[in-house]
Amino acid sequence: MEAVGSVLREYGCEQSLLSRPDGSATFLQGDTSVMAGVYGPAEIKVSREIHNKATLEVILRPKTGLPAIQEKNQEQLIRETCESVIIGSLHPRTSITIVLQIVSDAGSLLSCCLNAACMGLMDAGLPMRALFCGVTCAMDNDGTITLDPNFRQQKESRAVLTFAIESTERKVLMMSNRGVYSATELQQCIAAAQIASEKLFQFYRDFIRRRYSKS
Amino acid sequence: MKETPLSNCERAFLLQAIAERKRLDGRQTYDYRNIKITFGTDYGCCIVELGKTRVLCQVSSEIVTPKMNRPTEGILFFDLAISPMAFPGFEMGRNSELSVKLNRLLERCLRNSKCIDTESLCVAAGEKVWQIRVDLHLLNHEGNIIDAASIAAIAGLCHFRRPDVSVQGEEVTVYTPEERDPVPLSIHHMPICVSFAFFQQGIYLLVDPSEREEWVMDGLLVISMNKHREICTIQSSGGIMLLKEQVLRCSKVAGVKVGEITELIQKALENDKKARKEGGKFGFAESLPEKRITALKMEKSAVDTTDVENKVEKIILDAEPPSRVISKPVVWTEGTAQIGEGQENTWGQLEESEEDDEDEDSAPESPNVEMQTTKKKSLKDDVTMSDSEEDDVVILQPERPSQISH
Amino acid sequence: MAAGFKTVEPLEYYRKFLKEACRPDGRELTEFRTTTINVGSITTADGSALVKLGNCTVLCGVKAEFTAPPADAPNKGYVVPNVDLTPLCSSQFRPGPPGEEAQVASQFIADVIDNSQMLLKEDLCIAHGKLAWVLYCDLICLDYDGNLLDTCMCALVAALQNVRLPSVKINEETGLAEVNLKTKHALKILKHPVATSFAVFDDTFLLVDPTGEEEGLASGLLTVVTDEDERLCATRKPGGSALAAEKLQECISRAITRHKEVTNLLQEALASVKSE
Repeated sequence: MEAVGSVLREYGCEQSLLSRPDGSATFLQGDTSVMAGVYGPAEIKVSREIHNKATLEVILRPKTGLPAIQEKNQEQLIRETCESVIIGSLHPRTSITIVLQIVSDAGSLLSCCLNAACMGLMDAGLPMRALFCGVTCAMDNDGTITLDPNFRQQKESRAVLTFAIESTERKVLMMSNRGVYSATELQQCIAAAQIASEKLFQFYRDFIRRRYSKS
Repeated sequence: MKETPLSNCERAFLLQAIAERKRLDGRQTYDYRNIKITFGTDYGCCIVELGKTRVLCQVSSEIVTPKMNRPTEGILFFDLAISPMAFPGFEMGRNSELSVKLNRLLERCLRNSKCIDTESLCVAAGEKVWQIRVDLHLLNHEGNIIDAASIAAIAGLCHFRRPDVSVQGEEVTVYTPEERDPVPLSIHHMPICVSFAFFQQGIYLLVDPSEREEWVMDGLLVISMNKHREICTIQSSGGIMLLKEQVLRCSKVAGVKVGEITELIQKALENDKKARKEGGKFGFAESLPEKRITALKMEKSAVDTTDVENKVEKIILDAEPPSRVISKPVVWTEGTAQIGEGQENTWGQLEESEEDDEDEDSAPESPNVEMQTTKKKSLKDDVTMSDSEEDDVVILQPERPSQISH
Repeated sequence: MAAGFKTVEPLEYYRKFLKEACRPDGRELTEFRTTTINVGSITTADGSALVKLGNCTVLCGVKAEFTAPPADAPNKGYVVPNVDLTPLCSSQFRPGPPGEEAQVASQFIADVIDNSQMLLKEDLCIAHGKLAWVLYCDLICLDYDGNLLDTCMCALVAALQNVRLPSVKINEETGLAEVNLKTKHALKILKHPVATSFAVFDDTFLLVDPTGEEEGLASGLLTVVTDEDERLCATRKPGGSALAAEKLQECISRAITRHKEVTNLLQEALASVKSE
């Protein structure tokens, strides 16, 4: 198995680019791009309020057509991931809404959504116990792992796995995938994703440092 | 979350400023905010920024059967969706009035003005035509949605390329971009909407109202025009009465504005075309502002994953292998089998006293009495099979009442 | 006393049990609830199965219908799984269009069918580009008590194995399909994916087959789907507390064992029907 040649595509991010939401960000992974807008903590309908924590809602909007069942599934994955890091108990009886707009899909979409969501939450200044990042791995027939695959690599692969890794202990927050693979391959992908997450968190750090340093 | 209403003093302040010919953002009466058009990597994808109002457009195509009454014409479909991220007051399903109004106006501006040659979208008369779908998403609402949307739509349509097709007899072949270059749509003209906001019953007028200005305006006049100064649509809303001279003056202003905007769109299209032709970089990644401190880019970076295998091997070796002990299933009756002894379902309680539970899951011809004996026997087999069972049963018994009680 | 403690501090109540490595319902941490399968429960369906995991009950009915194959794949049929969570099974569901949980479960089942290649969609095609089978797999939850996905997967596999399709021939002269109801054949099921779900408590305890109560209290959920070659068809962890790779490996081991148990169970249940 040869997995040395894994390359993360060019990454880019911009925060606070929308004026209306409390926090906004756009995240680019190569040609894949997702925009996030975060509202909250804000007032909520009585029927939806939770007495001891904030109600989190994630809306994922496809570029063409109406949201389908696939988007619902991804919404749930992203929501549960965010829910586990946001300290919602600090804002009980409020709503936090994350709206994600797919701007262009060129592979690794779910991981890009996760990264955009995290950047958006950071911009909104919501308290979080850890950060998270999304990493997608594609595996082809001979078991080679490609990190951050583009659309073509994703299509030609045997299995595609997306992980959300948290920043404190590099544990797996979320897992979702397509295709068949063995337990060993899964573990290899996790290990690779953990290494890739270092790069991403470094990028997060550089980004925040650039934004908030005085010089 | 509700939208914050405008306070009375804010309203008074805005109106007073307008009366003094001043605008909050320092613009003059006839000034547009900055327009920025960025194209994505996909054909027909663009983001238009009008000041801080932002609209995303994606044009897509699909082969469908034509409408009965127009068998040789392609179909144009517009959908302007107000994304929940556009402003805080938005709720899914609500605000449909605004959305319907905007969609209708957009359709009149672009479809009814016949800016796209729909006949050229015909593949096989009466059977197959192209449907061009224009999806517009309002991402940030800072006023004047319709102008931004119309610019985005026409820029997207101009940028779009549909797959090439060939017809041989009845066989229709659609070529992938690799096989044949996709073809652009044939566009007759480019209608663009220009909005005029009226205040104090039409005494004051402003071009390109911002969101705050829209709150206090009395009426809105939207003129859709192309660069040949042909009016495609004109709509006055809000219930103000305008004089002929006012409308004429507005149309003159609109003519100038449309000329400027058309030029801008064409320039943006040319730039994108050049970048694509020269094999240079294009798309949203390139449009990321370099100098702003809120934006950062990271170059491609290699990830060293050589260590992965060793690490994984260790994890797998450390982990307990799957146990080989497998409990044997118990067949109760035809088609019904069971394994495991943990927390039996509450249906099981019935079997001691009542007999009708068998009806749920057994073949109808089996006599009930016989069934029960076999079942009891099999349950007894269960107990003797494994060693920890007596304990389980003992724990389960007192638990049951409490389960039912809550 | 215990009941009061449970109502006031349900999490603390659970922790007391978990410390002793057992659960309030008497199970060990790695023990499944009693799994009961009944195949051929509905005579009007082309294939059906009822699965109970403790109290969680799912009924799967498969209805086969004719349809035109999709334009982009003229040699394929369709399998359309649909999970129905009606107000009948739990008070947390409202009548009306399917809620998020039902949609997500449907999508998950559809993904597993695609990933595992449990049946080839090409087998469902009758006449190239003209006629194909569509299998509507309706999964109706009758009693919602946690671990919906495992129960659904089990019911689906059992029901699909129970499906008997009539043989269909295309009459060459008329071009119409002729259905012979007398000769029925089973579907070719290549793989038997089995799902195993876990609940994570306080980042340390892994509970197999959580009940509805446990799912509500757990800090995270995980579902692993395996096939007979010990390969994974899907691993789904929708957020929740973070999990280390070592813990995950434990789950996979348990899932592999569970797969063997369930396959045995399915075989026994199906064999008992065939013997009639």
